[in-house]
Amino acid sequence: MGYLLRTGQAALWLAGTLATHNAFASTPENLYEHPVWLTLGHYHENRFDSGYTSQADDPAFFLSEDGKTNPKTELMATLAAIQQPGEGDDHARCRFPARDAWLREQLDLPEEPVSCPAYEGWFDTLNTEKVTLVFAASYLNSPSSMFGHTFLRLDPPQDDNETDLLLANTISYAADAAEHDSELLFAYRGIFGGYPGITSIKPYYEMIRLYNDIEHRDLWEYTLNLSQHEVDTMLAHTWEIQDKNFDYYFFDENCAYRLLALIDVARPGTDLLEEVSTHAIPSDTVRWVRDKDLVESIHYRPSAATAVSHSLESLPDEHQTIAAAIANGYVKVGDPEVQQLPAGDKARLLDATYDYVRYQSEADNWPREFAAPLSHQLLVSRSRIDNAKPIPPVKEPTVRDDQGHDTFRLSLSSGQLAHNEFTELTIRPAYHDIVDPPEGYRTGAQLQFLRLDARLYHDNDELQVEQITGVEIRSLSPRNQFFSPTSWQVGFGGRRTDTGTQRVLAPYLEGGAGGSWSLGDNSQVFAMATADLEIDDDIRRGYDFAPGADFGVLHQSPSVSLLAGIKTKAWIVSSQHRQDQLYLKANYHIGREFSLFTEFTREDHFDRYQSTWQAGIHAYF
Amino acid sequence: MKKLIAGAILLGASSMAFAQPGCGVGAMIWKGQSGIAPHVLAATTNGTFGNQTFGMTTGTLGCSTNQSVQSMAMYMDSNIDKVARDMSRGSGENLDTLAVLLGVEEADRADFRQVLQDNFATIFPNSETTSGEAVDAIVALLEQNKSLSKYVAA
Repeated sequence: MGYLLRTGQAALWLAGTLATHNAFASTPENLYEHPVWLTLGHYHENRFDSGYTSQADDPAFFLSEDGKTNPKTELMATLAAIQQPGEGDDHARCRFPARDAWLREQLDLPEEPVSCPAYEGWFDTLNTEKVTLVFAASYLNSPSSMFGHTFLRLDPPQDDNETDLLLANTISYAADAAEHDSELLFAYRGIFGGYPGITSIKPYYEMIRLYNDIEHRDLWEYTLNLSQHEVDTMLAHTWEIQDKNFDYYFFDENCAYRLLALIDVARPGTDLLEEVSTHAIPSDTVRWVRDKDLVESIHYRPSAATAVSHSLESLPDEHQTIAAAIANGYVKVGDPEVQQLPAGDKARLLDATYDYVRYQSEADNWPREFAAPLSHQLLVSRSRIDNAKPIPPVKEPTVRDDQGHDTFRLSLSSGQLAHNEFTELTIRPAYHDIVDPPEGYRTGAQLQFLRLDARLYHDNDELQVEQITGVEIRSLSPRNQFFSPTSWQVGFGGRRTDTGTQRVLAPYLEGGAGGSWSLGDNSQVFAMATADLEIDDDIRRGYDFAPGADFGVLHQSPSVSLLAGIKTKAWIVSSQHRQDQLYLKANYHIGREFSLFTEFTREDHFDRYQSTWQAGIHAYF
Repeated sequence: MKKLIAGAILLGASSMAFAQPGCGVGAMIWKGQSGIAPHVLAATTNGTFGNQTFGMTTGTLGCSTNQSVQSMAMYMDSNIDKVARDMSRGSGENLDTLAVLLGVEEADRADFRQVLQDNFATIFPNSETTSGEAVDAIVALLEQNKSLSKYVAA
């Protein structure tokens, strides 16, 4: 019955403190510039003048006509509205409980209880004692999810057996694409704006289903150390912004951003939004929350993909073979080689096989006619074994995502291109290179954004852009007897290309697909078929295209990352020349702040050999 | 408190298009998911598509007057494959959630888990079982059990 008590507290707090009736007279001149008021209104200083603009894009969020750009009139309008007689859901005090409480506290307005049935019902139903920031990590074979996703979970009191975290509610902020259809348009508008962003509330089990089960993303739960008063303030403000439109932008005003604003409201002075410059990557926002000492405890919830791999790996080798045979229909659940196993072994075999069949049915669309009866047989057989020791839970990774290297990388190196010495500076705003320190990131995955490589050639003091990487995505996931994922890569940007007589900066588009196989010990080999397109008027026909292949080996360990291989491309439109490359990249990691790196490329193109080597240092911020 | 939990579920569900929460609901077990692709795209921009909610079909379950049973039916509808998995093992967080929804007290939880595990084949007689049928079977089983019947009393 804790929630009844809490409602009382909230009402007290909502009513503010007892004091004088003389409100307007005592309003300080610049109260509208108070950080809490600006946070509550989502106001930010204008870039070019001294005014403010709110990020809310919804007239319903403002009480004053020019509230979006004028925190002062908005404050006066709010102050007038909350002192109007009356009550009920449409009253300003019920629509803006957090503003109401703060203004009453600041101005010592009298306590006047107000009845807000909708808000109070909502507040009681949420029954929140703690708030947990949940981070959905990226998933290996979907680097587009690499930025991760964050949402807040509203945890009910855990002191009795009448509540359950699966049933807890969550707050998310996301682009509302429901009414729109084209996927390309979705990506475009998601990045450049144009989608309304909405705050929505869903039960946690639904989020688990979406992220853990369907998208195969591990969930990290960071329970915040907010007090009950701070939690209540956050809820009051959530009520204010719920269903209000804040335009959604993929890079900055995204899912993570709006949640940071909620935490700022809950604990004034936290200023998490101060940390956001050009982009708010969810994994970075988790770091900021952690660095502001907001985290009380951390819990790990492995994804279906992580859990099923773990279940299978925990079986002895010969049982793994049986599991694969059952899942593929070569061995029946009722066959003696399954049923004659000792009860404990049999239980673990059936559990792992069931998890695998379910996983494959969802991830790989196994036909229901096959998978459903098999699933049923597995569970019926399993239900006959009592008190079996369960498969031990997945071990929490020793390095969490938020403990991985910082995502902004600055590199300085020097090297030689065919005996021309150069110094190279590289700026990479985000996110992870396959040879960066691997801990806290998915093995074999890479996502780089807006990377610029600039070279200063020493003999003629010429400054050249070597490469601009728009986006570069790579996903190497090993295949084995249970899983057969495709490894793939895609990228575009501008790069120096050899026309035979000169090196020109040409726009390029490249892609590839193939397979990867584990060598054990943090290593894998891969083979990819590739395709390259380059466009430039210095190329004879204006563009050139090359099918090709890339074979290599990748090793990733906390101290050393190594990528080596051979690439061959056959340019078939303009130059008609083969381009063969031997490449080696080695990084030696000093903690997760710095890496010493060296790269060597030996190339055969236009019937001549040419070597490039360089060495330098990466620093991660 | 039971009312509150049921409310919590309904609150969460209100974002989806439920016709009749808690009655007439029945998802077939191991229905299979459709389409990973939209999710990948959604993940790209962390957006949400309105149509990702679970398929709700009108099933066989009658409208139980017991609100806890309605809550359980609703939860089963969204999580039937996980509930079935935990039930066959006699343990797991989804089984705990069922116990919470039915208001099963700590002292009765072990019995609750055991009864459901032992009668798995009765609750899920075949691979076409719907969540509505499973809920009906669970209610029938618990009604016959001396210590557990009070949790499903109408």
